[in-house]
Amino acid sequence: MLISLPTRVGTGKLRPSRGVGAYFACRDVPVALESLDLSICPGTLDTQEGNQISYRSVIFRILLSRWVLGAMLLFSVSPVMCTAEISFDRDVRPILSENCYSCHGPDAAQREANLRLDQPQSAQQISSNGTRAVVPGDPAASELIVRITAMDDDRRMPPPDTHKHLSAQQVELLRDWIAAGALYERHWAYVPIQSPELPAVRQREWPANPVDYFTLVRMEQQGLAPSPDASRRALARRVSLDLIGLPPTPAELDDFITNPSPDAYLQFVDQLLASERFGERMAAEWLDAARYADTNGYQVDRDREMYAWRDWVIRAMNRNIPFDQFTIEQLAGDLLPHATLDQRIATGFHRNHISNEETGSIPEEFIAEYTADRVETTATIWLGQTFNCARCHDHKYDPFTQQDFYRLKAFFHNINEKGLGDYEVPIRVSNPPYLMLPTVEQQADLQRLDLELRDTESQRNELQVATSGKHPTLTSLQSRIESLRQQRSQLTESIPTTLVMEELTTPRQTTILIRGAYDRPGDVVEADTPTILPAMSSAAPRNRLGLAQWLVDEQNPLTARVTVNRYWQMLFGAGLVRTTENFGSQGESPTHPELLDWLAFEFRKSGWDVKWLLRTLVLSRTYQQSSLAAAGHWEQDPENRFYARGGRFRLPAEVIRDQALFVSGQLVMQLGGASVKPYHPAGLYEQVASALGTSTYVLDTGANLYRRSLYTYWKRSVPHPAMLVFDAPFRESCVVRRARTNTPLQALNLLNDPTYVEAATFLALRMIREGGDNRPSQIAWGVRAVTARDPSPVELNALCVLFDRMQQDFSRDFTGAELLLKSHPAPISGTIARVDWAAMSVVASTLLNLDETITHE
Amino acid sequence: MSNEDRPSEIEAALNCLARRQFVLQSSALVGSAAFSTLCSANTNASPRTVGQHFAPRAKRIIYLTQAGAPSQLDLFDPKPGLRALADTELPDSVRNGQRLTGMTSGQGRLPIAPSPFTFRPCGKSGIWLSETLPHLGQMVDDLCVIRSLHTEAINHDPAMTLLQTGHQIAGRPSLGAWVAYGLGNENENLPTFVVLISRPGGPTNAQPLHERMWGSAFLPARFQGVRFSPGPDPVLYLSNSAGYTRDRRRTMLDTVKQLNREHFSETHDPEIVARIEQYEMAFRMQATVPELADLSHESAHVLDRYGPEVHKPGTYASNCVLARRLAERGVRFIQLYHRGWDQHNKLMNGIVSQCRDTDQPTAALLCDLKERGLLEDTVVVWVGEFGRTVYAQGTLTSTFGRDHHPRCFAGWMAGAGVRQGVIVGETDDFSYNVVRDPVHLHDLNATLLHLMGLDHKRLTFRYVGRDYRLTDIHGNLVSSILDSPAKPHVS
Repeated sequence: MLISLPTRVGTGKLRPSRGVGAYFACRDVPVALESLDLSICPGTLDTQEGNQISYRSVIFRILLSRWVLGAMLLFSVSPVMCTAEISFDRDVRPILSENCYSCHGPDAAQREANLRLDQPQSAQQISSNGTRAVVPGDPAASELIVRITAMDDDRRMPPPDTHKHLSAQQVELLRDWIAAGALYERHWAYVPIQSPELPAVRQREWPANPVDYFTLVRMEQQGLAPSPDASRRALARRVSLDLIGLPPTPAELDDFITNPSPDAYLQFVDQLLASERFGERMAAEWLDAARYADTNGYQVDRDREMYAWRDWVIRAMNRNIPFDQFTIEQLAGDLLPHATLDQRIATGFHRNHISNEETGSIPEEFIAEYTADRVETTATIWLGQTFNCARCHDHKYDPFTQQDFYRLKAFFHNINEKGLGDYEVPIRVSNPPYLMLPTVEQQADLQRLDLELRDTESQRNELQVATSGKHPTLTSLQSRIESLRQQRSQLTESIPTTLVMEELTTPRQTTILIRGAYDRPGDVVEADTPTILPAMSSAAPRNRLGLAQWLVDEQNPLTARVTVNRYWQMLFGAGLVRTTENFGSQGESPTHPELLDWLAFEFRKSGWDVKWLLRTLVLSRTYQQSSLAAAGHWEQDPENRFYARGGRFRLPAEVIRDQALFVSGQLVMQLGGASVKPYHPAGLYEQVASALGTSTYVLDTGANLYRRSLYTYWKRSVPHPAMLVFDAPFRESCVVRRARTNTPLQALNLLNDPTYVEAATFLALRMIREGGDNRPSQIAWGVRAVTARDPSPVELNALCVLFDRMQQDFSRDFTGAELLLKSHPAPISGTIARVDWAAMSVVASTLLNLDETITHE
Repeated sequence: MSNEDRPSEIEAALNCLARRQFVLQSSALVGSAAFSTLCSANTNASPRTVGQHFAPRAKRIIYLTQAGAPSQLDLFDPKPGLRALADTELPDSVRNGQRLTGMTSGQGRLPIAPSPFTFRPCGKSGIWLSETLPHLGQMVDDLCVIRSLHTEAINHDPAMTLLQTGHQIAGRPSLGAWVAYGLGNENENLPTFVVLISRPGGPTNAQPLHERMWGSAFLPARFQGVRFSPGPDPVLYLSNSAGYTRDRRRTMLDTVKQLNREHFSETHDPEIVARIEQYEMAFRMQATVPELADLSHESAHVLDRYGPEVHKPGTYASNCVLARRLAERGVRFIQLYHRGWDQHNKLMNGIVSQCRDTDQPTAALLCDLKERGLLEDTVVVWVGEFGRTVYAQGTLTSTFGRDHHPRCFAGWMAGAGVRQGVIVGETDDFSYNVVRDPVHLHDLNATLLHLMGLDHKRLTFRYVGRDYRLTDIHGNLVSSILDSPAKPHVS
C-alpha cells in the first residue's frame, strides 16, 4: 500500500519536546519531495480525472527520530497515529477541518480572505498582502504557521471567539507536514476502492480468514495479543443474537457443543443464516435508518399503513437479495421495467418520512421538508455524508455545494404527492400515492361484487329503457345496487394499503432554495449527482433509477464502504469508521482502512451478497475471540479499537425484549403483518396525544402481546417507552447509530415492566418443569437458558440462597406469592407448589436483570 | 479474587471508565452518559457534565409551557386604540407581506378584533394586565413581562419544536436536555429534567405534545426529560410489581449485584460497575419519588393558595405544587405543560377557561417560591410557541377567534437574575410587529442559559462532525431582562 518515498535521514536538528506527545522530528526536507509531481497531489478534490488515481498510495513518510513516552496519551486519543508517518488524510485534514475549514474551506459564502485550506492551489497562492498560507517545505514562511502561533489575539488563528485551540502537538504536526512538502491527499472516503493485499503478520497461525490479517497486524503494532477464542457457549449466544436476534435454545446449544465436526461452528452459522428469524433481525436494524413508523409524526400524528413495506424488507433479507438490488428497488422499484408489485411496495422506503396534516400549514413548505429528508436519508445511508449541512449553504467541511444538495433533491422532487394531508379524510386519501393490497379473499370478494354490480346495473338499465322506468322490480334492483356499492366501499376501506413512490408525468422544476427557505427560490437546477464524486453514466436515466444505479455503481467509492461498516458495527459494537453516519472530513478516519477497503471490495465482488459478508465476518477469528479480558486490557484499549478481544456491549432494545420472551417460551414466531400493541403503561397517550390520531393505547390480546419487538406499533409522538429507554430513536429522521446508555430507568423497566415480570413467571415455570428434579439443577437450567452458560458454583449458590429465602418468605406470606403469580397468570399446573413457583419467579427475574443477560458478550 | 480486593478493582474500573469517557468525548455521540451518571450515583462528586462557564444566577428553571399559543392581545399586550378600529381592515402596511396560514389565507378580509377583555394597571409597577389574570396581577412586581417575543414558525408542530429545541425540524435536543447536559443534577436520587403535563379543565382545542419536545435527540438519553405521571407511578415502572415488597426487592437486588460483581471479576468491563450503580439508584428512586409526589403533608393554607383543583392529580394546580417540590429537591429543569391555548374561535370562553386553570396556580407557585427563598435561585418562565393575530379568523362575531401569529407574542420571566416589575419590548398599535427590543426565541434561550451560568455559544455537542448548539448559529443575550448587566465571559 505505502509507497516509501526516498527520504534522507535528518542531520539531527532536534527540537526540545513540547509537552505531552511532542516528538523529535527531522526537519530536513528531502529534495526528492520537492520534485514530486504535484499534479497528482490533490486538493484536486474537484478534479474528475482524479478519481482514476489512487492518491492514498502517496503517504508521506517523515522520519521521526523517536517518540517520547508521553505520546502514548496521543495514541489513546487518536490510535491511528501509531506509525511514524504523517498522512494528510489521517493526521492533517482532521486538524484543518476542525479548526479552519468553517472559514477557509468549501463554503464559498463564508470564506474569509479568499483562502481555502482544503485545496493546495488556494493554500499556496500569494494572497493580497503578499503572504502564502502554505509554503511547501518552509514552515517559517508559511502564514498558516505564523498565524496559529501568533501571540496577538487579533492575529492568532483560529480567532479566540471561536473557542477553538490548537494543541502544541497539532501545531508541530502542521509544521512538520509543511516542512515535508505540504502534500495534500484526496479524502480517503472518495478514493476508489481497491483490494489491498493481506498484510504480513507474525502470528501466521492465528488468522482464520483475511479479516484477521488486517486486525492482527494492528494488534501486533500495538503490542496487543489476540484474546483466546470464546467458549462455544459464549460464541453460540453471541452469533445467534447477532444474526437472528434470539439466543440459542438449550437443545440447540447442546447440539452445537457436542457436534464433533470441525465445521460445527460453520454449520451453526449457516443454520442461523437460513432461519426466517434472520430477516427480522436484519430488518430491525434497517427500520431505524429508514425512519419507519406506524404514524405520520407531525402534530395530530395519525396512524398510517406501512407494514407491507416493513414485511418486504424482512422477505428481502431472508431471500438475501443482493444489496445493489435492495437499493434499486427501494429507491426506484416503480421505475424498473415491468415493475412487480413487490418492487413498487419497496419504494415505500422514501415515503417513510414524517408527514404533515396540520390545518393551515403551507404545502410547499412541507414538500421542501419531505424532499430534503429524502436527500439527507439517502446521503446518510448510502454515502455516509452529512448532506443536510448543504441545505442552506455550501458544506463547511466537505466538498459539497448547496447546488449539489438541490441537484440530488431534484431526483426526489417529482413525486405525485401532497405537501399537506387532511386529517378529516381517511388516511389513505390524505397521503397519496399509495397501493391497495387486497388479500386473495378480498380480491375474490371484490371481483364478485364488481361482477354482480355490473350485472345488476345492466339489468336495471335494460328494464328502465324497456319499461320507461315504470317496472315494479326497478326499485328493488336499485336498492340492490346501492347495497352492493356500500359493500364494495366497506370492503375497499378494509383493504390494506401502503405508501409508495410514483413519478409525476410532468417533472416539477427544482431550484436552489436560498438559505433553505421553501419560499425563496434561487437558480433552477437539474437532477445530478455530487460533482466531487464520479459522474453518472451518460446513458443512465436522470431519475431515481439512474440515481440508485449510480449509488451501487462500481465507480462509487462510498456505498460499499459505508454498508460494510454498518454491518461491522452491528457485529462488533462500533464501526471501523466509528462515525457510521459521517465519512466526511469531520467524521473519524477508519481504524483499519485496508480492512474496510478489503471488505468493501470483496462485498461488491460477491455480488453485494449480505449473507456472504456476515458469514465472512462471523467466521473471522477476530469475531470469535472471548470478550473476557484482563483489567489491563480494558485500560489499554477501552473502546476495543484494536479488536484484541470480543465485542462486549449492551444489546439493542428489541433484542432485550425478544430474548426475555424467547427464554420464557412466550415469543410468538409469526412473520409480518400489521403492527401490534403489547404491554404499555396506561395513560401515556391520553396526556399528550391528539384525539384525531390514536389517543388511547388499546392493548392487544393473545398472541399479539408476544410478537417480536420490530412489530410493536410505533407512534412517533409517543414511542413505546421501553424502546426509548434502551436508546431507540424516535424514528423522525434517519439514524444509523444508536447511543448506548446505562440508566436507572432501564433498571426499573427490567424490574417492573409487566413484560419482564410475566416473562419471569413463565421462565420460572420452565425452570421447574424442564430443569430437572432438584432446585440447583432447575436454577442452573435457567442460567443456561438466559446466558447460554453454566453457572459457577458461587453463582449457583447465590441463586439457591435467594430461592430459599424467597421460599421461606412466601411460605409466611401466601398472599404475596399469589399476588406475584396472579398478576400475570401463566398456565396453572396443579403439581407445582405456588410458593415454589413464586420464589422461582424471583430467581428468574434476577436472571433477566443481570448485566450479562442484556449484553452482547 | 477475594472480596477485599474487589473495591479497589472496582475503583480501577471506574478510572478506566473515566478514561474511556474521556476518549469518547472526542468521538461524539456516545457522550459522557455512563460516566456522569456513575459519578453522580457513585461518588457524590458533582456530576461530570459540561459545568458552568461562569458564575450562575440561577440553579434551576421552572418552565411553564403554555401550549397552543396564548393570545398576547388578550393577556399581556393591551391595545385600547383598537376599539375604535373594530371590524375595519388590517392595513396592508402593517401586515407587510407576513404569510398567513391556510386557515385565514382564504378569507376575503382581515377584520380587526379588539380584545373583549379589560386591562388594568397592577401592583406598584403598574404593569397593565388583562382582567383574566387577577392572581398574577398580585405578583406582577416580580415579573419581567416580555412583549416582543417572536419566532419564524407559523404552525404548532414546527413552532413548539422550535420553542423547545431551538429548531423547527425534529431532531435537536430540548432546552431541558441541554441544561441537564450542561449542569447535571443537584439531587442524585431524582432525574435532572422532569416533565409535568397537565390536563386542561374546560373543553379546548388542545394541541398534542410530542416526546421530542423534551427529548435529548443526539445528546445521551439520560438527559431527556422524564415524564412524571399523576397517580401511583409518577415515573414509569417505579412501583414494585405486585408481590414484591421492598424487602424482597432488596434481597433480589443484592443477588443481582452479587452476580454482576462476580461477572465483573471475569470480564473487567467497567460498564458492569455502572450497571450496578444504576440499579442502586433505581432502588433509591423508589423511595424518593413517591415521597416527592405525596402532597398529603403540605399544609392546607399553602395548598389553598393554588386553588380548588390542587387536590386533583394531573391538574395544572397540582403540577405547580409538584414543580415547587421538585425545585426544593434540587431538580435542575422542571417543565410544566398546559395545553389548550389555541383559540381559533370562541376566544372569550377559551381564554377565560384557560385562565381559570392557570392564573391562580401560577401566582401561587411564584408566591410559594418567594416565601421559601427559592425565587432567589430559580428562574420561572411562562411562554407559548407563538402569538395570535389582531384580526379575527372568519368574521368578527361574538364567538370570534384569532389565527396563529409568529411576529410578536408575549410571555414573562421571574426569579433569579431577572429584573422585577418591568416590561421588555414593545409592539405596534396592532400588536402585529415588534417596534422595540425584539426578543427571538433564540435570544430567550441564550438568556436562560446565561442565567444558569452557561454560555450558549460554548454549550456544544459534537454530532455528525458538527458542534451543535441550542441556539444553532443565532441567539443574543437580552441584557434588558437581567437585573445586573452581563459581565464579560471569562473562560
